[in-house]
Amino acid sequence: MSNTIIDGLRERISSAMTLNQSVGIMLPGNNYSDLTQALFEFIYSKPKTAWVYVTITNPYGDIVKKFGNMLDKGNIKFIDGISRAAGIYEINPNCTFIESPAQLEKILLEIMSAFRDLENDVQKYLVIDSLSSLLTYNNVSLVTEFFTHLSNRTKLEDIHSISLSIEEEMEENINKILYLKSNKIIKVRESFI
Amino acid sequence: MVEDGSYLYNEAQEEKNGEKTPDSLHEKCKTGIEELDRKLSGGIPVGNSVLMVGSSGSGKTTLSMQFLIDGARNGERGVFFTITEPLFKLIKNMENFSFYDKKLIEEGKVNIIDLRIISDRLGLDTEKYTVEDVNALLDVLKDIADELNVKRLVIDSITALCYRLQSKEMIRNFIFKLGASLASMDCTSILTSEVPPNEIKYSQYGTEEFIADGIIFLGDVNRRGDIIRTLQIIKMRGTAHSRTKSAMSISSKNGIELAPLLKSRE
Repeated sequence: MSNTIIDGLRERISSAMTLNQSVGIMLPGNNYSDLTQALFEFIYSKPKTAWVYVTITNPYGDIVKKFGNMLDKGNIKFIDGISRAAGIYEINPNCTFIESPAQLEKILLEIMSAFRDLENDVQKYLVIDSLSSLLTYNNVSLVTEFFTHLSNRTKLEDIHSISLSIEEEMEENINKILYLKSNKIIKVRESFI
Repeated sequence: MVEDGSYLYNEAQEEKNGEKTPDSLHEKCKTGIEELDRKLSGGIPVGNSVLMVGSSGSGKTTLSMQFLIDGARNGERGVFFTITEPLFKLIKNMENFSFYDKKLIEEGKVNIIDLRIISDRLGLDTEKYTVEDVNALLDVLKDIADELNVKRLVIDSITALCYRLQSKEMIRNFIFKLGASLASMDCTSILTSEVPPNEIKYSQYGTEEFIADGIIFLGDVNRRGDIIRTLQIIKMRGTAHSRTKSAMSISSKNGIELAPLLKSRE
């Protein structure tokens, strides 16, 4: 893992989030771990903001193992849509476990419920990790519809959002919606970092 | 009249020929479920009897209890008549929900009454009712509601009550008497109705829906082996309402919640 890549990614996330409410990040699969590292470093550097991180790619337990040292600010809550489906029955007050990544409506409800619990004056951020992982368990039109509903709700509630997608796993229709619903798209290319 | 493909204005509005919306004609009784109240343009019209239809485990009891507890929190006393579950079991289940408030029960703001105990005290056969038994039971229900001055009433379930009647004719007569009795009370009521899973019918005996001012159907859809709970308002007299099917979630933290049901099919 290169520090230059991670620093560069963190920089790009930071400037994109300063100027835009919704940011889509499209990246090649081999940059995924660098990007999540950069993302958690960014979240760690913003202790006065509130984050809800929806993980469909890696189980919450795995995230804690890798990034646990960056999760102690108390500014991030997780919604894990993958552990239960994989037969992992963990209970943690910092994470809401969804029965299955196909329960998109439940994910939507839990996201809004997590934000509802926060104070009004705190800046709110949502991470969807990732749209491409949702496609493993749902068809394209369902994910498109889910993302459309989610984007509309987050915009109405003044929630900033970052949506990840792995290029190799994406479908054209979802890319279109990601472009349409995001104020800014970051395409991760090592040459640009 | 259909607005936006999903909202219906019913007879009440049509009768008024557009002079008033149904929402302005009726005072509303909030269910305590934000999204459902929004779908009902504010809540169930006060005085309505609503049939809450669903199969076992669909959330009828939870929704009804949330309705009563929310009312009690807002100063409206309620009564829950159960005939399907023993009191201790019902309360034990409800204790899992954060909306449940033991104090409201202890203070008599929500009253939970086991109809089998009442039947027993009246000397009735708790498994089989005669016409006289049913009349006696209805009188007691009305007396309790009047005496407690309840604004919200739940019978869980009307199906289990009818099951104790011996003929279709008795069931029909009971349903219509119950309807008349509820109409004379100054309260908003929910009658739960059990139907077999995956069947689009509103009652077991085909009569229950005729006394209801509203029907709310709790169903489910199967998505790749995941059962998604759904809620749909089939009818509700006296208010504009959505008829769109919603996804429904039951959680200990938030009780019943609704989200848009994703329409795309596999």
